[in-house]
Amino acid sequence: MLAGAVLVPTLALVVLFGHIPALSSLRLAFSRYNIKQPARRGFVGLDNFVHVLTDDAFHAALGRVAYFMAAAIVAVLAIGLVFALVLNRDFRGRALLRTVIIIPWAIPPVVSGHAWRWIFNGEYGALNGLLWQAGIIGEYRFWLAEPLTALSAAVLVFVWRFVPFVAVLFLGALQTIPGELYESAAVDGAGPVRRFRHVTVPAVTAIAAIALVLTGITAFNVFDEIYALTGPQEITRTPMIYNYETTFVRGRFGRGAAMAYLSGLVLFALSIVYMRLALRERDV
Amino acid sequence: MPASSLSIAGAPPVRRVLSRGLLWTLVALMAAWSLGPIVWIFISSISVRAELYSVPPHWIPHEPTLAPYRTVLFEGEGFRGAAGQAAAELFRAGLLNSLIISTSTTLLVMALAPLLGYVFGRIEFPGRRALFYFVLALIALPGWPIIIGLFPMMSSLRLLDTRLGLVILLFTYRIPFEMWFMTGYFRAVPAEIEDAARVDGCTRLQALYRVTIHMVRPGIVAVSIISFLHSWNFFLVPLIMAYTLRSKPLTVTITEFVSQYYVHWDLMSAATILAIVPPVVMVILFQRHIVRGLSAGAIR
Repeated sequence: MLAGAVLVPTLALVVLFGHIPALSSLRLAFSRYNIKQPARRGFVGLDNFVHVLTDDAFHAALGRVAYFMAAAIVAVLAIGLVFALVLNRDFRGRALLRTVIIIPWAIPPVVSGHAWRWIFNGEYGALNGLLWQAGIIGEYRFWLAEPLTALSAAVLVFVWRFVPFVAVLFLGALQTIPGELYESAAVDGAGPVRRFRHVTVPAVTAIAAIALVLTGITAFNVFDEIYALTGPQEITRTPMIYNYETTFVRGRFGRGAAMAYLSGLVLFALSIVYMRLALRERDV
Repeated sequence: MPASSLSIAGAPPVRRVLSRGLLWTLVALMAAWSLGPIVWIFISSISVRAELYSVPPHWIPHEPTLAPYRTVLFEGEGFRGAAGQAAAELFRAGLLNSLIISTSTTLLVMALAPLLGYVFGRIEFPGRRALFYFVLALIALPGWPIIIGLFPMMSSLRLLDTRLGLVILLFTYRIPFEMWFMTGYFRAVPAEIEDAARVDGCTRLQALYRVTIHMVRPGIVAVSIISFLHSWNFFLVPLIMAYTLRSKPLTVTITEFVSQYYVHWDLMSAATILAIVPPVVMVILFQRHIVRGLSAGAIR
């Protein structure tokens, strides 16, 4: 009774707003369908896929997201681990610091994108002011106007948001290490470096794998921060931004759906890896 | 020679001092990294334009003002967004929509996630595992193909540009995570406790509401907060599916403060500070629950 009353509406929503649209966009991927010219709709076979795969702009977008993912994964895991190691120590104000570091994760990514856009501003931005006053740059730079710095700025905004999440994951793993383990290692004459390698690293390896995959998936999917930071511009056009432009600005739903499925293959593979790792951790 | 052997009797070992120093340096860096950008936006939000646009920046405003907040909340002053709406109009409509959408979604999740967790975590019925994975599959399905298929469908269901449509989508995409999380919680409560209540004459539902629910309360709090934050931060779907102030949430209306030719950074900063108040308050009040919810792994 209860099971039915809860399951039926949930399943109905999941099927209606999840599985069905996923299938209907698969059909779109094989059709010519521009929402601005709905009359010229028809089956076109693999045309959309061929077009996307041979589109130089799409290749460039893949290149950008590859850089984005690699940089984001390295930075998020390294900074996240440092955060967790600090938070795992006993000091006054630890609870306060834990509250403070979560804030970037909790606020809307698009809003933090706008905030950073002001910080990176080429004429009056705080970053320029800071670097100029510190003598690091001789004159103000337009960070968001050059491809490499603009994309790196987007990575930074994403890293700022995602580090708290990964830090909390690492912290959870660190807290499972019994304190005696460090003490006995110290008694056996292991210095800090060896203790880190032989006690800390094994304890966080499993969660690091999960964090890596999740960071990769989320980085591939980043939209809000880039949209706010530079808008739909070519220099920061990742597949997600390109997909948005193709589908919802130009109205090419057929081509957009094909692009979504092709990018989706990458994500789907990563998601399966993530779910396997996570389900192994917490058996259902 | 190891650093610690340099210590004089009675004084703290040099290495201990060094590592304390390193710890506090890292603590300071972490706080600066996390709060620095927000503090700067706050300073910008209380600066007059002449100071805001100065080189190098005025780190401390000489004549702080609340005018940007007044403009964003009440007046609107000359500034108009993309569709010709005044700043205050954009902000207030967005705020109202965001509050309605986030609260409704959170209430729905609070009502249904524990029940789903109970059903999947406690009751044995044919096809339980298959159904569980069927719902969970939504997590693995990439978002874009779904969104593209959703748009024509939402249009024919007349759910485009409605708050109801956004609530339905938010709920549908959160519920697999929350169900997964709550199932784990129910699994962790020993079945004997509930069995004892049922021996005492409680029905299944009574046992759930009188006994078990209290033991999973931390889980319910975690799911509710994370659902609220997630709804509050919702951007891509409403950017596509909400096109008037009837349904546009704050994340979307704030984006319209950026006009094509000019950005009013004082207004933008004030709006940003106001928009992050609810999530920041949530974090301050429920830090422990959020950390628990996040480290459970299923929630992002």
